[in-house]
Amino acid sequence: MPASDTIVALSTPAGESAIAVIRLSGCACPELGQSILGRQSGLKARHAYFGIYLDIKGKRIDDCVVTLYEAGKSFTGEAMLEIAPHGNPLIVQKIMEDLMARGCRPAEPGEFTRTAFMNGKMDLSQAEAVSDLIRARSDKSIEVAQRQLHGSVGRKMSELTDRLLSVMAHLEAYIDFPEEDLPDENQSGPAMDLRKLINEINELIETQHYSALLHEGIKTLIVGEPNVGKSSLINALTGSDRSIVSDIPGTTRDYVSAFLMIGPWRIEILDTAGLHEAVDVIEQLGINHTIEQAETADFFLLMLDSSGDSPTLPAELLARTTAENTIVVENKIDLTGSVSHDAFMPDFKHARVSLLEREGISELRQQWQASIEAGLKQPNADGVVVNARHAAALGDARDALELAADKLKNLELSELVAADLRDAVEFIGRVVGKVDNERMLDSLFKQFCIGK
Amino acid sequence: MSGGLKFGPNQPYDVIICGAGHAGCEAALAASRLGADVLMLTGNLDTIAQMSCNPAIGGQAKGHMVREIDALGGEMAINADTTAIQFRLLNASKGPAVQAPRAQCDKKAYQYRMKHVLELQDNLDLFQAMVQGLIYEDGRVVGVSTNLDVEFYAKSVVVTTGTFLRGLMHVGKNKNEGGRMGDFSAKGLSGSFLEAGIELERLKTGTPARILGSSIDFTNLEEQLGDEEPTLFAFYDTREEQDLFHVEHFGQEKLGWAPGEKQVSCWMTYTGEKTREVVQDNLHLSAMYSGEIEGTGPRYCPSIEDKFVRFSDKDRHMLFLEPEGRNTNEWYINGLSTSLPFEVQLDLLRSIDGLEKVHMLRPAYAVEYDFAPPTQLFPSLESKKVENLFFAGQINGTSGYEEAAGQGLIAGVNAVQKVRGGEPLILKRHEAYLGVLIDDLVTKGTNEPYRMFSSRAEHRLLFNHPSAELRLVEHSDRLQLIDGQRVAKIKAKSEKILSWVDRLEVERTRGESYALHLRRSRSQEDFPDELKTETREVRDEVHYRVVFKGYLERELKQIEKMRHIDHIRLPEGFDFGKVKGLRSESAEKLKKIAPLTLGQASRISGVNPADISILMVFLEAASRK
Repeated sequence: MPASDTIVALSTPAGESAIAVIRLSGCACPELGQSILGRQSGLKARHAYFGIYLDIKGKRIDDCVVTLYEAGKSFTGEAMLEIAPHGNPLIVQKIMEDLMARGCRPAEPGEFTRTAFMNGKMDLSQAEAVSDLIRARSDKSIEVAQRQLHGSVGRKMSELTDRLLSVMAHLEAYIDFPEEDLPDENQSGPAMDLRKLINEINELIETQHYSALLHEGIKTLIVGEPNVGKSSLINALTGSDRSIVSDIPGTTRDYVSAFLMIGPWRIEILDTAGLHEAVDVIEQLGINHTIEQAETADFFLLMLDSSGDSPTLPAELLARTTAENTIVVENKIDLTGSVSHDAFMPDFKHARVSLLEREGISELRQQWQASIEAGLKQPNADGVVVNARHAAALGDARDALELAADKLKNLELSELVAADLRDAVEFIGRVVGKVDNERMLDSLFKQFCIGK
Repeated sequence: MSGGLKFGPNQPYDVIICGAGHAGCEAALAASRLGADVLMLTGNLDTIAQMSCNPAIGGQAKGHMVREIDALGGEMAINADTTAIQFRLLNASKGPAVQAPRAQCDKKAYQYRMKHVLELQDNLDLFQAMVQGLIYEDGRVVGVSTNLDVEFYAKSVVVTTGTFLRGLMHVGKNKNEGGRMGDFSAKGLSGSFLEAGIELERLKTGTPARILGSSIDFTNLEEQLGDEEPTLFAFYDTREEQDLFHVEHFGQEKLGWAPGEKQVSCWMTYTGEKTREVVQDNLHLSAMYSGEIEGTGPRYCPSIEDKFVRFSDKDRHMLFLEPEGRNTNEWYINGLSTSLPFEVQLDLLRSIDGLEKVHMLRPAYAVEYDFAPPTQLFPSLESKKVENLFFAGQINGTSGYEEAAGQGLIAGVNAVQKVRGGEPLILKRHEAYLGVLIDDLVTKGTNEPYRMFSSRAEHRLLFNHPSAELRLVEHSDRLQLIDGQRVAKIKAKSEKILSWVDRLEVERTRGESYALHLRRSRSQEDFPDELKTETREVRDEVHYRVVFKGYLERELKQIEKMRHIDHIRLPEGFDFGKVKGLRSESAEKLKKIAPLTLGQASRISGVNPADISILMVFLEAASRK
């Protein structure tokens, strides 16, 4: 059997490890499994075989565990092979070279998942979930990706589609069966159903921010005048000495980034150059850079020295801050001259801390998490969260439904309303696959007794 | 008629039509009107164009198809207009796209006139003989054998055998072989198809009882009158008077009624208080509920048993009493299909308001029959398995006279095109209901007797019935399906409409353009006086195009977006298995249907947009090599 259609990739990270896993998918897998172990008979599927990897010339390479998965019952839907040798990069390289010599080809990035999708092992939203799952950096992110992998988005879309088809069926019944003994044509039911659908779709669309923040992390900028303790705050939050801390103002000229968790949220925190009237060109560059970073930031910690005056910050920066995405952190409350700065940005939440005394930090964390979650649409009880692609398709569907709802309200001809609904069904279908008109007809004949 | 009947292998016809129902008639007329040498075989010359079920033509989406048939030179429209006894425009309260003409026809007059049209047709031979088998040669069909042991030969054959293939009728436990009460069952032909590898499956349909009109008590029934101004099926503004002969007056003189005159009424009634009881007590005796019937029945035409079982919360069901003609007292009960036994049917009928003392003329029955799943056909309706063999009508799994006639016309044209080496007539989904019909059949197949619904057409807003002639004139002109004079008239009408549409955009009334004003008022009352004097066809079409301009443009834009994939052809015999990355489920479906274009592939159920993208990439890569 030619191995040309069989792809191979190292599935564990490159580098030294106890074991490495090399994964193959394609029709040559059963034969390859037998031949690399030098066995007379084929491998039984889903059994782990311990043996010695023999290269194409019969030379021993390493001990390994080999498992075969039969076509139709594997991740990709094709026959698959997993080879687990010791995690020595040299051994891995030899095995990979040998598999190429036997006709396999290296997999392209994402090709295993793509193959699984192509073979109907998962719908598009599930395939997307695989990459989310691999990149997930928080428990919550893993949970959401896993739920999607098990079809939560597909099920939700299917449910929405059924409800939409039921509204369509209601309109179509009066168009296609004018001579039937149907209840009086009354559009208030469909209009109400549409309104509910629109609201629900809007809620789903909003979860995209949740999902984006969850999977991509929340980019947070610490801003403030020089020497208010920005770098110390990062160190206090991450428990390391990542930023160079000194009492010479303007020590942080370039931005420094660190990662930390606030509740389920993965935070990428950026330390910035102190914002004040720059004394040299390099500092000015740093300040410009901060303003640039602020453009794409999700969250701000605005720091000040509570023993000093309230800061004056660049207008470009303040324009990006709101009561929802910013916490004013008043540092150095241990100093004798410290006063409350409530009057500064009075609408914003304020946290009072002493980084030196390690005071107020856990309160800051709580306030921070509350702040993130307050502005965020949480997923419903069903836990369905959509990504940007889903949200775009749902947005188009929502717009079409709004048009339909307006027409219904204005008692417009029902075939014109139906045209908008048809568009909406098509848009929803983009998330997980197209919807056939037969499904609408099924709904119609279930709802109405047709039969002149 | 032609020079005389030809039989035996040395005198082949161009086309043989097997069957003389609604599909067969249109197929025979289309082929012979194109100048081909045609033979039509039927088991019974007295049942040509018989309306085996409801004596009515048209209705939602169906009425549209009849007008399309007329635009393509078919006969059904004129035949219905000149034999109709009641006209009604359905959905008159809705927009023009979904308004549909319907007519109650005189069942016998309809048949007589159609038979006479066939008799008068040049190049067409009629002969009464039952086709029992097909004669094959090298994977092609070359002729047919009959029950008279006479063989007829042809370059192409169109099969339109309706429900007659191994037809089996049920009245309770009583079973009779036949495709229609009183007629035979064609048994040999099924074997002939199987021999050629053509798969057959079973479907089920039914028809209600017929009753004697003089035994109906109309006192408490609701009368349903015809429209005062009838909406006719055929386009009279673009053709000559002599086409319009009437069954009672062939030749010069006009006798009898003109279309729309002397209409008769239908009547509405309801199932009575006892009806439910009769049905429920005897459910076990119904052929459908006792497991006697295997075939799948239509969802849109349930039996009365089904209605009471599936919609148990509904107290009563509406029924229509419809006369079958002017010269008969036989009436049809619309909405009362059943396969209950004879004596239960009597109780059932007598439980209905107005039918307390009814006399039954024929019982209701269910009929099971073979059909050839239409995914075995090319969009030309030619079999993929046997060359030169075409299928049309109920044998393709459809239901309805209009669906049958439309397919018959297309199959007749394409049988001739095949013989002559011309391009087949394939209507697009955005051109006509007939395009939707055939594309659905050959691409998706069907599990129940397929009936057209307007919702099946994505672009039905473009299918307002008066536009049929305008939509299809390019085809009818190119293939010469209608005469040059009529083509010229249609094109002149089209130009007139376009010019009016433009004029209304610029000419002003009450401080704004006519177009803007009309979009609000939607009333032809607000037309300029000059436009009010145009024909109804012109007025209606101008009105529709001006008032609904935005919607129509949106449809056209969507069609434009899809157009490119409908133009990407898949080579014949294309191996879907070798397309890397195609989901295996899709590859299998594609292999089975063997679509001719990427557009057709995209409509196969179970084939997803992702599959189409993959195919597109593959075809593009292949074309670059």
